[in-house]
Amino acid sequence: MTAIDRSDPDRARPSAAEPGAAADLNTCLRLVARGDADAFDTVYDQVAATVFGIVRRVVRDPAQSEEVTQDVLLEVWRNAAKFDPGRGSATAWVMTLAHRRAVDRVRSVQKESERERRTAVADVPFDEVAEAVESSLERERVRRCLGSLTELQRESVTLAYYGGYTYSQVASLLGVPGGTIKTRMRDALIRLRDCLGVAS
Amino acid sequence: MRHTRDLHTLAGPYAMDAISPPDRARFDRHLARCEDCAREIASLREATARLAAAAAVSPPPALKARVMAAAAATRQRPPGPEPEPALGTWPLRTWPLRTQPFRTRPLRTRQGRPTPSRRLVMAASAVAAAAAVAAAVVFGVSSGGMRDQLSQAQARSQQVAAVLTARDATMMTGAVRGGGTVTIVMSHSMRELVFTAAALHALPASRGYELWLIGPAGDRAVIMLPPARHGMTGPVVASGLRPGDHLALTAEPASGAAHPAGRPTTPMMLDVVL
Repeated sequence: MTAIDRSDPDRARPSAAEPGAAADLNTCLRLVARGDADAFDTVYDQVAATVFGIVRRVVRDPAQSEEVTQDVLLEVWRNAAKFDPGRGSATAWVMTLAHRRAVDRVRSVQKESERERRTAVADVPFDEVAEAVESSLERERVRRCLGSLTELQRESVTLAYYGGYTYSQVASLLGVPGGTIKTRMRDALIRLRDCLGVAS
Repeated sequence: MRHTRDLHTLAGPYAMDAISPPDRARFDRHLARCEDCAREIASLREATARLAAAAAVSPPPALKARVMAAAAATRQRPPGPEPEPALGTWPLRTWPLRTQPFRTRPLRTRQGRPTPSRRLVMAASAVAAAAAVAAAVVFGVSSGGMRDQLSQAQARSQQVAAVLTARDATMMTGAVRGGGTVTIVMSHSMRELVFTAAALHALPASRGYELWLIGPAGDRAVIMLPPARHGMTGPVVASGLRPGDHLALTAEPASGAAHPAGRPTTPMMLDVVL
């Protein structure tokens, strides 16, 4: 375990859109936990585009993506009191929730449309990752950092995170042993984390 | 330790939800015990959150009104951990057992030799695989007590194998309420049984499953089950079965209990006939 505890998560994580937003989000969540609707309004404005973006990337179907986005934001409302700033940034908390919900949705419908998704997602090039992004600065950073990964690392992360595949599905899509993919995924995220941290 | 290191390679898939539900459950249990790992996952999730940020797309404006209206109609959850279920109500200490249908009897083949049923063979191989895992883990231990531990493991495997291959071996299986499956192979003549469980509900690190024999002769603690490996618990051997014994599984403090805690469990009927 080296180079893991990288100081305060919110300091390590600059906001997607504007500086200082992360701290605001923490404060807002604390207010939301007390039932403050205005604070929830602010939270919505800060995270809705990112939540919708990642959900749509994984789920693809626009109507389902809206449903999942609504579920995620409602979960933020319901569980705001469960957010623990000591265990990561508010943004990471919301995005973890969003990504997991999106993945749950595609896996629950996977059986019926497995083949379609397979074709649809397998050919998402990583350059497309940043399509339609609101913050071009953030997009550029992530693009650059993804570009610093090895090809296998990048494909693993792209298929897993944006494609919603399990590591063993990624392994069979790429024709690489599962054990290799697991390690590449971890290496890739560590590199991304360090690269994005430096960029901040 | 090899097992921990193997588990740890799941950190990447876990942080990206690229993991099967059983692997996720294993890793969650691991995280509960490993502070460093929890920190690593937190830091990796800062990275994945940035991947999400790079995919941002404005949702349709009408969504906001729907979300705000839904929030207004939704009760929020209080802070703090979820209350633990009371000791007497752990959801999975008992399970219905279908004794009869799973009774297997030696079958006569054309050659006139007894053949274990296919189901029994499958259970036997699963148990044997678990025994091999246990032996392999012992192998990894530092050389000091290795020979002792290895011979203990071998003795255990032999004990397991003896029950599994007994002519009167009978297999029973049952679903555990709340999740998981229990498989038992019992030999009446040896008064022993082999107990294994798969995919039991995970307990906090401070608690473990304890196996009991409950009967006219009183409650006897059989063993604290070892932590599950790859979702598989056991095999463990219970010896000295007596007529009228029932088998029960309870959740107890990890150090073990002298008597089954809480209300008496609805035990699994073993139907020991000696």
